[in-house]
Amino acid sequence: MSEKASQASRSIKVDYLARVEGEPALLVKMKGDKVQDVKFKIFEPPRLFEGFMRGRHFSEVPDITARICGICPIAYQMSGVHAVEQALGVKIDPAVRTLRRLIYCGEWIESHALHAYLLHAPDFLGYLDAIQMAKDHMALVEQGLRIKKIGNHLVTVLGGREIHPISVCVGGFYKVPSKRELRALVDDLKWALEASQATVRAVAAFPFPDFEDDYEFVSLSHPDEYPFNEGRLVSNKGLDIDITEFNDHFVEQHVKHSNALQCRLRQRGSYMVGPLARFALNYDKLTPLAKESAREVGLAPPCLNPFKSITVRAIELVFACEEALRIIAEYEPPEKPRVDVKPRAGVGHGASEAPRGMLYHRYELDSHGLILDARIIPPTAQNQKRMEDDLWHFVPQLATKPENEVTWLCEQAIRNYDPCISCATHFLKLKVERE
Amino acid sequence: MPGPAPLIICCGNPNRGDDGAGPLVARRLTELGIKVRELSGEASALLEAFETSENVILVDAVVTGRELGAVHVWDAHSAPVVRESFRCSTHAFGVAEAIELARVLGRLPARIRIFGVEGGRFTMEEEPSPAVLEAVESVARQIQQEVIACTKHP
Repeated sequence: MSEKASQASRSIKVDYLARVEGEPALLVKMKGDKVQDVKFKIFEPPRLFEGFMRGRHFSEVPDITARICGICPIAYQMSGVHAVEQALGVKIDPAVRTLRRLIYCGEWIESHALHAYLLHAPDFLGYLDAIQMAKDHMALVEQGLRIKKIGNHLVTVLGGREIHPISVCVGGFYKVPSKRELRALVDDLKWALEASQATVRAVAAFPFPDFEDDYEFVSLSHPDEYPFNEGRLVSNKGLDIDITEFNDHFVEQHVKHSNALQCRLRQRGSYMVGPLARFALNYDKLTPLAKESAREVGLAPPCLNPFKSITVRAIELVFACEEALRIIAEYEPPEKPRVDVKPRAGVGHGASEAPRGMLYHRYELDSHGLILDARIIPPTAQNQKRMEDDLWHFVPQLATKPENEVTWLCEQAIRNYDPCISCATHFLKLKVERE
Repeated sequence: MPGPAPLIICCGNPNRGDDGAGPLVARRLTELGIKVRELSGEASALLEAFETSENVILVDAVVTGRELGAVHVWDAHSAPVVRESFRCSTHAFGVAEAIELARVLGRLPARIRIFGVEGGRFTMEEEPSPAVLEAVESVARQIQQEVIACTKHP
């Protein structure tokens, strides 16, 4: 590259970043091979859920928060009910806890299948979207749709309906399934398990950009289980806290270019939540076939290439199917679907692992059980700063590439995170500028 | 035209202003005694629903630039769906993607029409526009007439 070319400035701009939930945009400014600015912009208006939760009764938390996201309503319900249950001192039946893991399996299956097959795979195979991809890879798309349908069905059986599940409540479930209802899901889940193992092999063979970074991974960690609903909050750089200490270690900051608050670790900066973080910090808790799938494709923790998150999502698909089958095989309905809950004043924190990463809720309740204050920090808000940092470090190696290829790879880098902008805007379009 | 009663699918988010057009049509049709299926607009659930009927009517809010409350009726077989029109869906993989993917996969029902209600405001917890509420009644009545025509014996 000539000196002149090396000093050329350009900007890559994507005004509407497709295949992510919501309305994001991205601006990257470059001078030669130096990145001058990166802004991941979230334009969607603040959704102010936290504001209109105030004054509502605690029992409304799962129904209201489920509407924050059409893709991961269970995550909102889970973090929400656990936070309220902590505030009220509620102990749930172990069988209810297990059912909550099962409904989470359903959400992971549907969300990971949607992202891996229909939103992210086109990036690696060179298609604008899944519709174009389906013309050449019909079997692949059909497989993804069928896995997703099985996840949808599992959520419907436990959640009570196809959209905005209604069974989850503070203290348990309004209604729990019978053994027969769950056993009816087994054949489909066995098929999905095999298909997920095949998915790992398929996506691991995709061409991945040569890029790794020094991440601080953050996820829940439970002594015995790959995390869904509980555990300590840990990182690979020394964080190990109870969820009640969240606000001592994490801080949300407003940046001019985004309607979503960016979350950072105090004194340390950006961090990553999601499949790569869970994989790095909880690999030993994965189910046997999930570990076998990882070994088969030569993936060991930590995985520091964010583009390989599609493979880790597929490994988590194997885990979710395997875990769902285990739970169904051992299922005994709880004696009571829910425990009685009495209002009292208090503060509760809840964190669970949404498909795209850890989701934190905090509620302050008055003595009548009305919400005085609510705080919801979604995974995409936590990953926002980390997405920008990825581009700061990744884009210099793209300096000699043509505009359309840089744009494509930058969009792909953002989609590594499966961002859910609608969730993040409790408070994206791409532009790369080269001077 | 007499024939099997259509599967009526209404999509949208009732908490998001004019995006509630679909659920409001569903509510009105239910009041009129007509069976409706409500879906969020997520593509894989729509594809699954398409498998259950060869005659589908789909109702959703759209944005095309026409006047607020305008009612569009499209035959999905006659032309590809304009995906930008369905941006109001809260899903990255929504109604337009479902129809176009169904077309590629050979899963489009033999008859599928889309009633699109032109919306303008989609902020959370906002009320639907008055013009959209008028359109909801009009769409519900049109669909009711179609259902009556289908179920009449010759």
